[in-house]
Amino acid sequence: MASPLACAADAPVDFNREVRPILSDRCYGCHGPDADKGRKAGLRLDEISGATKKLKSGDTAIVPGDLEKSTMAHRIISTDPEEIMPPPELHRPLSAAEKDILRRWIKQGAKYDRHWAFVSPEPHATPSVADSSWAKDPLDAFIADKANKVGLKPSGAADRTTLLRRASFALTGLPPTNTEVDAFLSDQSPDAYEKRVDAMLASPRFGEHIAVGWLDLSRYADTWGYTGDKAMFAWPWRDWVLKAFNDNKPYDQFLTEQLAGDLLPNPTQDQRVATAYNRLHRMTFEGGSIAEEFRQDGINDRVMTAGYGFMGLTMECSRCHDHKYDPISQRDYFSMAAMFGDQNENGLLSFHGEVPPPFVRLHKSEEARGKEAELRAAVRAAEQGLVTSHTATAKAAVMVPTPLAHFPLESFTKTGVDNATTGGKPAKFERRGSPEDLQLVPGIKGQAVKFDGDAGFILPEFKQLGRHDAFTFSAFLRLGEKNARATVLHATGFYTGDGDASGVELLVDHGKLRWSMIHLWPNSAASIETVAALPVGTWQRVTVTYDGSSKAAGLRVYLDGLEVKTTVVRDTLHAKPRDNALEIGSRSRDAGFRNGSLDEIQIWRTALTAAEVAVLHGLTADSLPAAVHAEHAIIRANPTYAQAWERLQQARRALAAHEESAPAFFAMEHSSLAPKTFLLTRGEYDKPDLTKPCEPGVPAHIFPWNESLPKNRLGLARWLTDPKNPLASRVIINRLWAQVFGSGLFASSENLGMQGDLPTHPELLDTLAVDFVRGGWNTKAMLRRFVLSATFRQSSTPTAEAREKDPFNKYLARGPVFRLTAEMVRDQALLAAGTLVEKVGGESVQESARRRSIYTYRKRTAPPENMLIFDAGSREICQPKRLNTNTPLQALVLLNNPGFVEAAKSLAVKVSKASAEPSAQITAAFRHVCTRDPRPSELAALNELYAIQKASPPQFTPAPVKAVVAEPKADPKAKKQPAPVPAPSGPKMPADPSLAALTLVCSTIMASDAAVTSR
Amino acid sequence: MHPTKPSYDSLMQHTRRHFLGASALGLGALAMRGIVGDAQAATLPKGTHIPAKAKRVIYLFQAGGPSQLETLDPKPLLREKHTQPLPDSVRQGQRLTGMSGYQATLPLAGSFVDFKKYGQSGVEYSDLLSHVGEVADDICVIRSMHTEAINHDPAITFFCCGNQVAGRPSMGAWASYGLGSMNENLPAFIVLVSQDATKDQPLYSRLWGSGFLPSEHQGVQFKAGKEPVLYLTNPEGVSPHARRGMLDALGKLNADQRAAELDPEVDARLAQAEMAYRMQTSVPEVADLSQESPATLAMYGESVKSPGSFAANCLQARRLIEKGVRFVQLFHQGWDQHGGLPGGIKRQCKQTDQASAALIKDLKQRGLLEDTLVIWGGEFGRTAYSQGKITKDSYGRDHHPRCFSLWMAGGGVKGGQTYGQTDEFGYNIVKDPVHVHDLHATMQHLLGVDHERQTFKFQGRYYRLTDVSGHVVKAVIA
Repeated sequence: MASPLACAADAPVDFNREVRPILSDRCYGCHGPDADKGRKAGLRLDEISGATKKLKSGDTAIVPGDLEKSTMAHRIISTDPEEIMPPPELHRPLSAAEKDILRRWIKQGAKYDRHWAFVSPEPHATPSVADSSWAKDPLDAFIADKANKVGLKPSGAADRTTLLRRASFALTGLPPTNTEVDAFLSDQSPDAYEKRVDAMLASPRFGEHIAVGWLDLSRYADTWGYTGDKAMFAWPWRDWVLKAFNDNKPYDQFLTEQLAGDLLPNPTQDQRVATAYNRLHRMTFEGGSIAEEFRQDGINDRVMTAGYGFMGLTMECSRCHDHKYDPISQRDYFSMAAMFGDQNENGLLSFHGEVPPPFVRLHKSEEARGKEAELRAAVRAAEQGLVTSHTATAKAAVMVPTPLAHFPLESFTKTGVDNATTGGKPAKFERRGSPEDLQLVPGIKGQAVKFDGDAGFILPEFKQLGRHDAFTFSAFLRLGEKNARATVLHATGFYTGDGDASGVELLVDHGKLRWSMIHLWPNSAASIETVAALPVGTWQRVTVTYDGSSKAAGLRVYLDGLEVKTTVVRDTLHAKPRDNALEIGSRSRDAGFRNGSLDEIQIWRTALTAAEVAVLHGLTADSLPAAVHAEHAIIRANPTYAQAWERLQQARRALAAHEESAPAFFAMEHSSLAPKTFLLTRGEYDKPDLTKPCEPGVPAHIFPWNESLPKNRLGLARWLTDPKNPLASRVIINRLWAQVFGSGLFASSENLGMQGDLPTHPELLDTLAVDFVRGGWNTKAMLRRFVLSATFRQSSTPTAEAREKDPFNKYLARGPVFRLTAEMVRDQALLAAGTLVEKVGGESVQESARRRSIYTYRKRTAPPENMLIFDAGSREICQPKRLNTNTPLQALVLLNNPGFVEAAKSLAVKVSKASAEPSAQITAAFRHVCTRDPRPSELAALNELYAIQKASPPQFTPAPVKAVVAEPKADPKAKKQPAPVPAPSGPKMPADPSLAALTLVCSTIMASDAAVTSR
Repeated sequence: MHPTKPSYDSLMQHTRRHFLGASALGLGALAMRGIVGDAQAATLPKGTHIPAKAKRVIYLFQAGGPSQLETLDPKPLLREKHTQPLPDSVRQGQRLTGMSGYQATLPLAGSFVDFKKYGQSGVEYSDLLSHVGEVADDICVIRSMHTEAINHDPAITFFCCGNQVAGRPSMGAWASYGLGSMNENLPAFIVLVSQDATKDQPLYSRLWGSGFLPSEHQGVQFKAGKEPVLYLTNPEGVSPHARRGMLDALGKLNADQRAAELDPEVDARLAQAEMAYRMQTSVPEVADLSQESPATLAMYGESVKSPGSFAANCLQARRLIEKGVRFVQLFHQGWDQHGGLPGGIKRQCKQTDQASAALIKDLKQRGLLEDTLVIWGGEFGRTAYSQGKITKDSYGRDHHPRCFSLWMAGGGVKGGQTYGQTDEFGYNIVKDPVHVHDLHATMQHLLGVDHERQTFKFQGRYYRLTDVSGHVVKAVIA
């Protein structure tokens, strides 16, 4: 900040503090790092080489030391609108003082310094100050030194009650109870305050408070956001954060486990849970959404969130173009995107709201995790058992089993289709599309059905085609065109850009057959594809089998009775598909079997052997190779094999059942199947520049990359937590400082870049950052230092002069004051009322549960109104800090919100039980809410209020009719969303005149400044 | 969470000297407020950069994407080519949603409803908008709107907040922030959601949120019934008299605190509590439609009598802007006709046509239309082809961001005209495209705001409603 004191004509100019903020704000937009577009006149002002280069025009912007020859020096003072810089269209003209700074800087040699925040922090010597007895921590000397320089003196100590309330809010988010205050005031030992502080740091309330800011930054909520806004099962991650703070997990680990817990060696369940941090971004299931668009948006959200939260960089600015201000190129951005896009994932949420893979299973106990390992070993043993059971078996006769169904497709009735299986009943079917759209055409045998791509038929009786089931489909098939994509048959329900299909499916993909068992594509599926494409216009018998093994190897494709060569597309089926009915020739919102025909469809509830498939097609058993016969004999005629297979299937089912008994929890999982990252032209999802693949990387211009680090999220975490990294330690120190002192040492906690605010106390910031790293990234220890400092202990009441000189208390020559946050205001009311239910962690709850506000259910598209009114956000995206406003709606919440009225009533009851005397009751209530005793004038005002209200007891009108307001349509099938609480009939005063009067007094206290402020 | 110390209100209580004296911060703070002074601005009302033609806005948002082809943009060719496939030369490979993108054919669908010319100007409206047709000479129909997103959530967020990314301030929040309130006793930005609408696609509080602007600028939702604003009603048994007593006591407590702590923030807090008290009177007053004349009620149509209906909300909107509310936004859902379009859109127009027209007439007869801007429209249009099969009497239309129509009236808009043109298939714009940013720029222009200059510095960047683009559409301005 340019101090008004430093304005002498030739006073030396400080580049970082005075010049760069001007250049960045007014010049870099057109003459900055963005190389692609907008670098006007070829001039680059963010580097000395660019600024002093001779331009095409023949001009030179800056000739160091020479105002005359420096074009810039002229243009900034020009009065010609064509000439003047910055141009009038920018609407941010230079002030006279700023012009003077720039000209002095050029005159003094135009020295560039590296941006302060991109230089590794170094410790600074503690300044010596006149009154050294005041300081309790080296940080106090930095504060006093700066205060002195701007003509301020530290204030005296706050009274002990005020201090205890302040520390209690800073560390636990709750005020001290009256008993705690009394005990503290009577404790005369010199370390009485330290003891209280240590107790607060050790209390679980610490994590319940400190975590809130991290939840804002990490956009933690209980729903997915977007249309429909389904429930998101995320609270185990919130509990992880809470526990990490309470256990004082070193910050470098806190960072590393969230960014890359899955990449640590043998990660624990908790370390994998931590990585959900990256996946808390919104996801949509809106019909018709394009998966890649939302996958890219999700990755962008991860990069942005990590940028703000851990790096203090506005990374997302570089998605569409090089950063306008900071040395982050678009390529740097996509290198980061490559780090965070390393998963085999779908950009869309399923319509059914399943946990989107990849996921980790949350076992409740070590024992359950142990059991999983055991069951896995049992599967491996049974697999081995199967291998050894492959003993040569005498040739067995090849008899095609009777199919479950055989549809000759000669004709349809309105509701059914003939089943030619002996004894088979006609199968019910439902048409998709209009009846006339299913065309009967000459087939391989009699009639066949030809599809138009939109219409098809559903066989509602054919379900349970699951991962443990074995089955075979066979049909004559003819392609009528070279379909890019066509659904031949499936049991996957409907389709939205792959997000929803769950079950078995047979597709034509550019002429090739794709045969898959899918839980959720693409992460959890087994899928194979034929190497060769089918010819167009030829009838061929297609037979596909699945053996119930959950493996790609259990899928097979045969053409005209012979197995064909396939490649494995996916072999990672992690859970059971939904149970959907079989559908032929069509799928909702997908391309059906356009111009394709099917005839003689047959279905078996067994996987036919290769020999049976051959014989089915009319090949003679004798013509088959020995290996086919051998396999057939083993499968059909070797009891040892049959038993071994059954054992293996049992073991698989047991493992699956055990896994599926534990909730799936979304997490990060690096995958070699993740799509490659390319630079997206203008950041648009559908414009990847295939000539610009991006390997995982970091903005190395800010801090060099160490080649020994793995090029992935773990490497990123190591890079960030390198003791020399200039970003991570400064960002966290600033955030911790703001937690205690109300605002940070630099105001823009989320932006350390050139457009961020300069720190008020740069030496202190850097010294603390170095201390923090050297001290093992110890969060509690640092917070302890802060609240024990003399700076924190000052009185917050300013002198008139101090208020005039430093209205916003930037220099901390007095103690911090802040309005309580949404959470604190509510939690304080509940605590004062004695109705706060203190239980750490667990599922999110409605406000009526009276738990701490951190546990309040957060629906992104309709966040709790009273929290929004007190400046909490919607948690749709990363929120680095909250604003602090005063609005009439806040007064309405405090006085009329059912929860607050309820709390006032409970408080009235509580204090009226403790004493019979109104004045004592009021004093006690005031202390419960505001911690201190009421001043005599305050007590007089409240006593008067009490007397007046008691004299005119409440009048009750007939029960009010609550307006019935329809909520936006919620998806009726959404699971796990707590049932909406029925609208309470509205808060009501107690009928007893004394209690009613006391309730109004309590309400008034809760709405007063003393209640909603920490001073 | 890190509470920042001084509230925005106390910031505003500081003297101008402070802003200017504190150098870089001061200038930043001024820029934040969007009131960077220059000679011209000094003579204009707060927050404006040019003389305003409109003082307030009523935005009749039709959520779900109304079909332009059955309302405002007649396409006879589609009737001629009914059921024929959409030519590739028209589609030009543009993206479709995943709902109709895999359809085997894309059959063109002609409008089931006829269009007629209305007014002196002879602008065509469909028979479903016959009431709006009666005020055709006050209306400018823009037929060449286009947007970027193709799904509801991104598109409606884009329309309401100028960006499909969450966390940006809404149109009304910008107006509140830039121009402030004209009534101390009511919020500057009020939102009314139709209760009689078919709730096919949900709405979200983000659409009227304040984003990174101070939360006082977020839209306050008015609901039909006893408690129009959340928590407005005193607990049962607390009379207005008792509440007055509480506020008097609160005043004393806070005065005492102010004296002890020397903190002007305390005054700001008390002022807000007093305003809340005044709102308890002013809001029920403004929400009470029973004082309206039978003639007025008749004009808005039968459904005006059902609380929270679109018609009732139109009337409510007029009452709010009469009281000085800056920006009123109605939301009427139910326009998402993927299938069964004829039936669906008939229902939608029946719910909205008469009242929309009545609002224009009512404003006009009260002399309010000239400085009240009224806008009617949705987040995108609908496809010229049918989603799903065309049957004898039905068809559907998928989302279409490439072109759609909306109308504007009053507040400096030149009525009796159409602007922009689409091709004869109603698929692409052939003349004078108007992007959502252009519409926002134009709306702000009419309010006296230069859209490039009303900015808010957040996370190191100057943000504005129109992001980095937007042009004022001069031709729609009178």
